Amino acid sequence: MNFLAPLFLLGAAAIAAPILFHLIRRTTRERIEFPSLRFLQPTPPRITRRSRLENLLLLALRCTALALVAFAFARPYLQRPTPPAAADGTASRTLLLIDTSASMRRSGLWADAVARASAHVRGAGPNDQVAILAFDRSPRVVVSFSQWLETPANNRVAVALDALGKLSPSWLPTALGPALVRAADEIHEGEADAGRIRRRVILVSDFQEGARLDPLQSFEWPRDVEVVSDILRPARPGNAALQWLPDPPDADRAAEPTLRVRISNSADARSERFKVAWAAQDSGPSLTTPLDVYVPPGQSRVVTLGAPTNSPNADRVVLTGDDEPFDNIVHVIPPQPVEIRVAYIGKDAKGEAREPLFFLQRALPESRRQTAKVDVLAPNGVPAPGSLAAARVVFVTAPVPDATADVLRNAAEKGAVVVFAPTTAAAAPALGRLVAQAGLGLSDERPGSHALLASLDFRHPLLAPFNDPRFSDFTRIHWWRYRRVTGALPSQARVVARFDTGDPAWIDFPVGRGRVVFMASSWSVADSQFALSSKFIPWLFGVLDLSGAGVEPPAHPKVGDAIPLPAGRTSTLAVHQPDGAVVSVAPEAPRFEVSMPGTYRLGDALRVGVNLDPSEGRTAPLPADRLESLGVRVDAATSSRAVEPGRPQGVPPAAEAEGRQKMWRWLILAALAVLVVESWAAGFQARRSPPVSNVEPIPSSPVVA
Amino acid sequence: MNPAAIDARALMAIRSLELRARAVVEGFWTGIHRSPYHGFSVEFTEYRQYAPGDDPRHIDWRVLARSDRTYIKKFEDETNLRCHLVLDRSRSMEFGTVGHTKAAYAATFAATLALFLQQQGDAVGLVSFDDVVREFIPARNRPGHLNHLLHAIEQPVPGRATNLPVALERAAHLLRKRGMVVLISDFLAPVADLERPLSHLAALGHDIAAIQFLDPAEASLSFHQAAHFVDLESGESLHVDPDAARVAYVQRLEAHQAELRLLFGRVGATWHPVLTDAPLGPVLQGFVQSRHRRGRASARPALPGGGR
Repeated sequence: MNFLAPLFLLGAAAIAAPILFHLIRRTTRERIEFPSLRFLQPTPPRITRRSRLENLLLLALRCTALALVAFAFARPYLQRPTPPAAADGTASRTLLLIDTSASMRRSGLWADAVARASAHVRGAGPNDQVAILAFDRSPRVVVSFSQWLETPANNRVAVALDALGKLSPSWLPTALGPALVRAADEIHEGEADAGRIRRRVILVSDFQEGARLDPLQSFEWPRDVEVVSDILRPARPGNAALQWLPDPPDADRAAEPTLRVRISNSADARSERFKVAWAAQDSGPSLTTPLDVYVPPGQSRVVTLGAPTNSPNADRVVLTGDDEPFDNIVHVIPPQPVEIRVAYIGKDAKGEAREPLFFLQRALPESRRQTAKVDVLAPNGVPAPGSLAAARVVFVTAPVPDATADVLRNAAEKGAVVVFAPTTAAAAPALGRLVAQAGLGLSDERPGSHALLASLDFRHPLLAPFNDPRFSDFTRIHWWRYRRVTGALPSQARVVARFDTGDPAWIDFPVGRGRVVFMASSWSVADSQFALSSKFIPWLFGVLDLSGAGVEPPAHPKVGDAIPLPAGRTSTLAVHQPDGAVVSVAPEAPRFEVSMPGTYRLGDALRVGVNLDPSEGRTAPLPADRLESLGVRVDAATSSRAVEPGRPQGVPPAAEAEGRQKMWRWLILAALAVLVVESWAAGFQARRSPPVSNVEPIPSSPVVA
Repeated sequence: MNPAAIDARALMAIRSLELRARAVVEGFWTGIHRSPYHGFSVEFTEYRQYAPGDDPRHIDWRVLARSDRTYIKKFEDETNLRCHLVLDRSRSMEFGTVGHTKAAYAATFAATLALFLQQQGDAVGLVSFDDVVREFIPARNRPGHLNHLLHAIEQPVPGRATNLPVALERAAHLLRKRGMVVLISDFLAPVADLERPLSHLAALGHDIAAIQFLDPAEASLSFHQAAHFVDLESGESLHVDPDAARVAYVQRLEAHQAELRLLFGRVGATWHPVLTDAPLGPVLQGFVQSRHRRGRASARPALPGGGR
């Protein structure tokens, strides 16, 4: 038997008190009213002359109660080694869940993880089944149960160890919740015999604070699956993380560009003083004068760095002073403006403020984030084959000759979006040619006073920006006149919006990789109020999004994000990864998933700084009972927290053993029971002995002789 | 059975004070004392030569006229006894281990004495005190006066600490006319403080009798278990083991009693210590008889006649 707080045993010395009280005559409580104390002399309470203890039963009970309380406070526990798994011969089904997130790159953690996982694999018995699941942002099967079973029994461990050896930590964040949910599903997968089998999920992880656990809140953990947490501790505790913060929304755009970074120091950190400085790829830790930052453990500071004016090639901010380097660099590539090129074909009078071109040019202003260029082409001439190549969107408001229509159709087939909004019904042949549908005709319509857009298909990408009750009211826009489409529409054509007369207002014709959007009424002032309404610019950007022209890369991409690639590529795109590798991306691929922090170069010009997920920098360990609080059945007996030095393997730590046995509760209960018996015995004795008068006759009194 | 010899416990069981008093007095109704006064009366006793300071009212003018000598006429006083009961009502009297308190016993004694004297035709008054004089009823012998007196004795008095010297001093101021003064108390006050007021009372010509009532347990400290003894008056507490403290206590109490005896002897007073478990009849009888003996034995001082 051991004690968690042996000093409390000294409290047992209080047993001396009842013994002393029993030795002292129990008369001190009695009070006698007496006429005058003049002739009395005080006598101190004295020990009984008989040197014999009275009421031995009560004394024993009182001493026992005191001893029990002292014993309970000392928190006794029995230290016995925990039985090895499945010692009773029951087959076990073990799923090893190995954390491969970026935080496992900390010093010594990964080697420790592999060693422990290997030990678990080697410990598997001949009847046991083992599967290995690795997880970071998402779980992935390394060795499945079926693979294990299919492998010859004498080769299983070697295969599993081989698969373990091939694993390496990624740069992705930790999503422990989804991984545990997947593990709970996976452990029942393909189970033939559901009889006496022990199901365990062994979690080999650093159990960091930044791990995402939320899916567990809505997941009912299966009762027959236990989680054994094998928690890893780095050689050096503590970690400081660097995070790039977005500019505040009210930041002064005209002011000198600055960079805000947050330095978070974990609660178990030992260092408090750090330096932050700009750096470049081959410049060493700092290009600029480092900024000293003091961050106490468990706190964070936000510092603002000025732009590295003298070092144009500075592309990162480096934190020094932290022992764990995996999250000490922020790759900063200032956002590059996106070039939007559109073409316009129409018969607008120059500078006319009522014509479509006027509104189009004003709806696409230039800013730090975008440069817009509108190429105006005459409707009569045939555009040169290359003139439309750069434009992702072509707006056509006038009838065009067949040759031009063919060029436009050709562009649409390659992915461009042609918005055909003729201001006259004479454009009917051009429409038929654009969408390759014979028999389409247009007729000018003038509804009574005006027409309204009645039914809109908000599921269409064109109207996606308005798919919210706050923005979906188009009834304030009056349409004075429109072109009614006659003839059968192609089967793949989709009417996006209709007027209240029932005639189609906007029709989407998919053409090749692109599309032709027909508008029955244009945004010229003579046709409608559309250009003057608040819907016009969102609609215009919806069109740009449809073509992929307006897509800009995310401002702060994180590892694991899929970065949108420039649209309209005709050849493969070379993506230069930070580690020097070059990946070729097919022209059709809209996005590219980044897998490591650093500067990615997309093609020749576009550069993207990719950083670690900020949550991965929160490496302080989660409370040990966090999983239990989420309803996960944790086998506390075999779970290891921090392994105590000098404790034999397989023996649980003292506090844990004591916490599991909780012998103090029984001791306190016993003490209470003893006190109840003591009260009853004392009461019984008091009732049994009749009240004796304190006055006894003294034969003769010489006082009144 | 002689009702005067009723056991104290049985007597105190009678609720009415007057009935208790009557039960005791029935036993011995006899005139057993003489008046200490020489007052107005028809019965001449003697002549005495006038001395300066004598009241000139008492000069026998005829003798002066006949013989040119100034004589003072003295008469046997027929006036009854004027007796004042000075009754201690302090908290210390509220002690009792024999079924009644010293206060109850003392009240019964006072009532009995009052009834007895009243029936003899004497005037009885009452002075009750604790730390100050609480009530003063002048001595009278009128119908209804006894009831008034008994009522006053019977009244529960929320007594506090005893201050016997102050009370006696005050009584000396109140009782200007000579008479008998019966002090009823436990006399547990320091003896030295009592001498002056008692001398004062005695100097006023009062015939002083002191009845001291003590509880038997108080007299012998007959407790057998250690306890906190709480002073009834001051509230002070003292842990006392009676077995250990008894001898010293009794010695001190005896010394106190001896001092009291000496004191009362010095001032010419009689002193009657009584334990409260004694039958009241014999106590009263003993008291009256001792007075009677004293009355006969003491040579009556030749006081100027007519002094009332």
